[in-house]
Amino acid sequence: MTLLVVDNLSKEFGGVHAVEGLSFAINPGTIHSIIGPNGAGKTTLFNLITGIYKPTVGRILFQDQDVTAKPPYELAMRGMSRTFQNLQVFFNMSALENVMVGRHLHLNRGILTSLLRLPAIAKGDAACRDKAAELMRFVGLERFLDAQADSMPYGALKRLEIARALAAEPALLLLDEPAAGLNATESHEVDEVISKVAKQGVTVVLVEHNMKMVMGISDHILVLDYGKKLAEGTPEQVRNNPDVIAAYLGGGAA
Amino acid sequence: MLASFLQFVFSGITVGSIYALCGLGFSIIFNASHVINFAQGEFIMIGGMATVSLVALGVPLPVAILLAILATMLVGFALEKFAVEPARKASVTTLIIITIGASIFLRGIAQELWDKNFHKLPPFSGDQPFLIAGASLMPQSLWVIGVTVVVIVGLGWFFNRTLEGKAMLATSFNTLAAQLVGVNTKKVLLMSFGLSAMLGAIGGIVITPITFTNYETGIMLGLKGFSAAVLGGLGNGMGAVVGGLIVGIAEAMAAGYFSSAYKDAVAFIIILFVLFFMPSGLFGKSGTERV
Amino acid sequence: MFRNERMIGLAVLAVIIAILPQFLPNNYYYDVAIQAGFNAIVCVGLNLLIGYAGQISLGHAGFFGLGAYASAILCTRYGWPPILALLAGALVVGVLAFVLARPILKLKGHYLAMATLGIGIIISIVLNTEAQITGGPDGISAGPFSIGGYTIKTEQTWYWVVGGTLLVAIWLANNLVDSPVGRALRAVNGSEVGAEVVGVDTARYKVLVFVVSAVFASVAGSLFAHYLPQITPAKADFFKSIEFVTMVVFGGMASTFGSLVGAVFLSALPQVLTVFEDYEAMILGAIMMGTMIFMPRGLVPTLGSLLVRRRG
Ligand SMILES: Nc1ncnc2c1ncn2[C@@H]1O[C@H](COP(=O)(O)OP(=O)(O)OP(=O)(O)O)[C@@H](O)[C@H]1O
Ligand SMILES: [Mg+2]
Repeated sequence: MTLLVVDNLSKEFGGVHAVEGLSFAINPGTIHSIIGPNGAGKTTLFNLITGIYKPTVGRILFQDQDVTAKPPYELAMRGMSRTFQNLQVFFNMSALENVMVGRHLHLNRGILTSLLRLPAIAKGDAACRDKAAELMRFVGLERFLDAQADSMPYGALKRLEIARALAAEPALLLLDEPAAGLNATESHEVDEVISKVAKQGVTVVLVEHNMKMVMGISDHILVLDYGKKLAEGTPEQVRNNPDVIAAYLGGGAA
Repeated sequence: MLASFLQFVFSGITVGSIYALCGLGFSIIFNASHVINFAQGEFIMIGGMATVSLVALGVPLPVAILLAILATMLVGFALEKFAVEPARKASVTTLIIITIGASIFLRGIAQELWDKNFHKLPPFSGDQPFLIAGASLMPQSLWVIGVTVVVIVGLGWFFNRTLEGKAMLATSFNTLAAQLVGVNTKKVLLMSFGLSAMLGAIGGIVITPITFTNYETGIMLGLKGFSAAVLGGLGNGMGAVVGGLIVGIAEAMAAGYFSSAYKDAVAFIIILFVLFFMPSGLFGKSGTERV
Repeated sequence: MFRNERMIGLAVLAVIIAILPQFLPNNYYYDVAIQAGFNAIVCVGLNLLIGYAGQISLGHAGFFGLGAYASAILCTRYGWPPILALLAGALVVGVLAFVLARPILKLKGHYLAMATLGIGIIISIVLNTEAQITGGPDGISAGPFSIGGYTIKTEQTWYWVVGGTLLVAIWLANNLVDSPVGRALRAVNGSEVGAEVVGVDTARYKVLVFVVSAVFASVAGSLFAHYLPQITPAKADFFKSIEFVTMVVFGGMASTFGSLVGAVFLSALPQVLTVFEDYEAMILGAIMMGTMIFMPRGLVPTLGSLLVRRRG
């Protein structure tokens, strides 16, 4: 069984083919990395999978259902969640509240119950607060339990997004460069978080430039170049693929 | 039938020209700063009122016009310097309140400086109408349309041929890049207010012989100029001109064939209708937002 | 934690409302307080939209006016009981806001400002023009507010009615803010895509808060119509809309008590300014510019952070 199938997917921006004729599949319970030089189309691919962009051509199947061009919130309901390369943190809220928003789908969202603050809301919120705090500790943010999001350093915000995404209890978690801009220690911590998440049975799709991290934790790697698939396979296979070596070394991108 | 239709077209194009000038003013400032200047209508009012009082003081019309334009530009510069510049980093809502505050302030001054009465200017070249297929066209309408065309051509020349104009265009495309190649973006901002004030004043002066003016005329003209700019796509100069003409003509048709009471609603009905289907106006850029 | 602070705030406000009459020497002052209360109810609702969800509206006086006219027309022309007219007005306004919200709230920034401004102006033109129903520029009277045989007659009684309604409005708004729905609204303001990917249907929440804020305005409008001898289109026009937005921003966005302070301050201000007669508009404009330039975040948050800095 496959969790996600991308079939002949293309996205064009006024002449730029950011993603072109791309097909691949992701098995559940694996860590699947997507690598490629800057501008290869990795973020665009994430935006297509999570419904933020509509593809020009192609289909996306999630849990055997066609979800092409469905809005992001609906995909979240079906079990997708993600983080962003360019932070999409709620800077007008506290760190804890950011993660609490991640629990949105698991809470009572009735408008009347909320306006009147019926007991269900208070009870749900207390549990939600505990769960969010637990997740912040899980990603190593215990220091920021009382912080406002706009007062946190970059590295912490990156992990805050991971905690928020995990709060939704996704089946598929997409991480866009979670270690970018982090120092070695922080990056190692993120590495560990990802492994722990995967062990809990969440399928992870990872975009990352840190090759050591990618080669170390991935079950499967997809290499993109100019929006197209350049190679695919285990870390071992990809490392030894002549096309990949040429693109990374020959193209001067590395 | 045809005669009355033509009549509505003439008057539509005439007021549409003023909306176009006003819309251009909105666009120029928006491009330079992403600020919507709700005091744009006040430039129209000040241009008209200043000319009226200078003429009343015995100043010859051409000199009065020049002085009025200069005075309005000074107001524009002051507005930028003292109200907009210090709040550049503020939110959209905050800036909207600042410029609306400025317009109330300017109206307050106008009411003190002049009065609450309506004033008029004599038509620039008589009031003997031309008869075209049964419809009459006032010479002042030709002045309005002619001046608008000259201003638009002049602006085109300014933005494409002069260094200052190109610097302003560059700033609107990418402020940071413009700064990096040495454009003084602060000066651009100041110039944009001066230029918009000038457009407003010119519009206010040429229309005064037709519609009269008082301290409150700027309100509706400004709001309709804003609809013209949004209709064409904010920041798109040609869009603002087309938007202004559409609003002007539609308004004249509605007043003629339907009900003059709802004349003022027409601009806003059109704009709502267009925005429902084209969220960035008729000619606005609608790229995919980067995430 | 937040919850307790807000409940204490509400209690303090209740006490202030209860003792304020001791300091109101005559009906004129009662009138100012009552008008401030009406404005505050609208602003508390509008702040949910502008302050919390980050969506501007330059047309909310339209909804305030529709509520007022619904009450006036249904009560005077059709003899409805005021409370039913109020509810019917709220329902009509809610449905109208719901229908308009979906296409409008797709718009961003200045385009949204334009669209809401347009709706407000169209409503006020209709109120001005359909004189047979609305009484035109002269307006229409809604008659006294009576319920179950009891009629509100004095300024003093109105004071308690408005004060009570205001407390309820603030209680409801605070409940909403401090709930999953409220967090979703604030998330929409923080980052729309960020909210979407964890399952927030941002379009739905924007519509929801637009409707809620419009209904707040409508209810306040209905009561206001009964309070005034005559409701006129001026109460629904562009400047009234601007007044509401200014109150919200002046007090401090995303702060319910900020909206309250803004409403009270700017409602009282014109009474003070009448001393300056002809310079009223000039001073009002200058104050709008000045406060926004020097306190872009509004009064309450600015004072709040000043206090924190002192303490820290
Ligand atoms: N919203 C957009 N509008 C126009 N062009 C876009 C948009 N988003 C991406 N592109 C273009 O698509 C191409 C792929 O960009 P993308 O961000 O997907 O690359 P990437 O692989 O994530 O790069 P990086 O490693 O730098 O993050 C680039 O040429 C980019 O300029
Ligand atoms: Mg990327």
